[in-house]
Amino acid sequence: MKTKIKVSRSTLGLWIILIVAFVVTGIVDSYFFTIPSLGITLQLAAPLGILAAAQTVVMLTGGIDLSLAMIATGAAYIVSVKSESGLLNSLLLALAFCIIVGGINAIAIGIFGVNPLIMTLSMSAILIGVFTVGVSTFLRGSSRMPEILITMSSGLILDPITWPLLVWAIVSILVLFTLHRTGFGRLVYAIGDNAHATRLAGVKVWQVQLATYISAAVLAGIAGIMLGGQSGAVAISLANSYLLPSVAAVVIGGTSIMGGIGGYSGTIMGTLILSVLSYLLAVLNSSEALKQLIYGLIVLVLAWIYSSISGQKS
Amino acid sequence: MKISAREQSWNLSIFMLVIGLGIWQAQQLPAFGSYELRTILLGIIPLALLAMGQSIIIIGGGINLAIGAEAVLINILTAKYGEGVSFTKALVLALTGLIVAIAIGALTGWIISTSKIADIVVTLATSFVLVGLALFIQSGPGGSTNKEFSELFTGPGQNFLAPLLVLVLPLILIWWPLYRSHSGISFYAIGSNKEAAFLSGVNVSRARIKLYATGGLFAGLSGIAMTGITLSASPFASISNAATLNSVAAAVLGGVSLAGGVGGLVGPALATLVLYYIPTILLGYGIDPAYSQIIQGVLTVVVVLIGGLLRRKGSSVR
Repeated sequence: MKTKIKVSRSTLGLWIILIVAFVVTGIVDSYFFTIPSLGITLQLAAPLGILAAAQTVVMLTGGIDLSLAMIATGAAYIVSVKSESGLLNSLLLALAFCIIVGGINAIAIGIFGVNPLIMTLSMSAILIGVFTVGVSTFLRGSSRMPEILITMSSGLILDPITWPLLVWAIVSILVLFTLHRTGFGRLVYAIGDNAHATRLAGVKVWQVQLATYISAAVLAGIAGIMLGGQSGAVAISLANSYLLPSVAAVVIGGTSIMGGIGGYSGTIMGTLILSVLSYLLAVLNSSEALKQLIYGLIVLVLAWIYSSISGQKS
Repeated sequence: MKISAREQSWNLSIFMLVIGLGIWQAQQLPAFGSYELRTILLGIIPLALLAMGQSIIIIGGGINLAIGAEAVLINILTAKYGEGVSFTKALVLALTGLIVAIAIGALTGWIISTSKIADIVVTLATSFVLVGLALFIQSGPGGSTNKEFSELFTGPGQNFLAPLLVLVLPLILIWWPLYRSHSGISFYAIGSNKEAAFLSGVNVSRARIKLYATGGLFAGLSGIAMTGITLSASPFASISNAATLNSVAAAVLGGVSLAGGVGGLVGPALATLVLYYIPTILLGYGIDPAYSQIIQGVLTVVVVLIGGLLRRKGSSVR
């Protein structure tokens, strides 16, 4: 009973923060409240939201995946270069890439017990190496995104609803449904809470981790393709700047980095808060220095507020 | 406290690896002597000091993802105001930089203790703040320092003695006394088991503040070494992030367990040599240095994997 009250209080806290950020931004820049501006803000939030969904699932199991940004970049790069030989073909290749990388991560972490932080950091370094070499050898070619994916990433359906927003909504429903309504979702929470006890209850923990890291990699791939579509062409540093915000969105949203506590609905709030915030910082026309400084401070303060109102270690 | 047999054997194997790579690389050069050794040492000093700082924090059960940003900030501070100054002023500047670094470290430790937010999250946030500050002070590459001050690091001649001292003195003068003191023991204690440390009378939050302050001191030294060696500074997040990642890789390769409480500083310092040699040797063969990132990543995973398998003998949870 007590935990239930705590959860609702922290969700309320998130709503208050979001509304305050929203209103302040609107006061600073009245254009923010117009429909096209809302559409753009939500459109830019969508890839971060999907990347943060990947991070949420992994962090719920008690892990962390710092290779997600490079997986996203890699998937987008493969799609853009290979799209000349057919869109479906290139998408399948990117899917295979995500599954393989996520699978390697999961096997090293789940079966060989490599620390997730180290494994995914190293995987990120390996992928940077592979793609730096690949750009001039096996992945040579135009890195322009195909038109249909550009539309899917930035096209308008009916202001302020855009195609990426629709994709994000579908992904959100799938993630929320999987986490809260399926056996797999319960296992994700269970191994995050206590992997030992879950194993003793007869669950093969590594199999759950395998499914988790692979689905996270696939989600990251979707986010990457969306980012690539929004920028038109893919550079090797495409998703780099989204890695830390993806962790920040999850943490602000109340998912514990120790695993087992939290969920994707909080992460959605975290993503929205960060998106409104970056709009505000852009409007204030602040220097890069000030942007970084304020962004870091706000993430710290929000995480602090969250941990003190919910009384939970994040 | 005695250095454990495990740590000794780990250091020994890393040492053998370094010797092997060193001989390999030396064969690519027309000559190998004092000057070449100096070049190598100057190449690794900033990362080695940073890896030592990261290792101390990991030993104490934390991790600092802002350590590279901290070094870059001190680098910027000492280089920006170091243009055309006298030797004494450069020294004062360096000392100020160190104090700032220790203060940032202590503040980070205090935030982690007080807020009860995970180390990763706090330092992720502070890394943004510190890079922002660095950009604020100097928005692009630049800066310089006094020539004699720089010779404290590079040495007056082509001798390898000065860089060697820069690398070894912090170990002897800072880490060794600390290691043998009450504080050093408390680092290992909170790293291996916080509750047990608390129950046996360790003030955990004070120890944690000291832990991050010591890490900050080494990050500061690393930043000052960057100024002294390169005579310039660049305030970019890409530089600080790469430095942070390499510091974690060096710590892990050097036998520091991410679980905390295990390891020392000699191993990580040696491991930075490994990280230095891989791209250098590849370059000697005319191979794209991008491959070195692949090798470095695979090597880190394999080392952690072997270490994990050795430790987990007998444990059955899977």
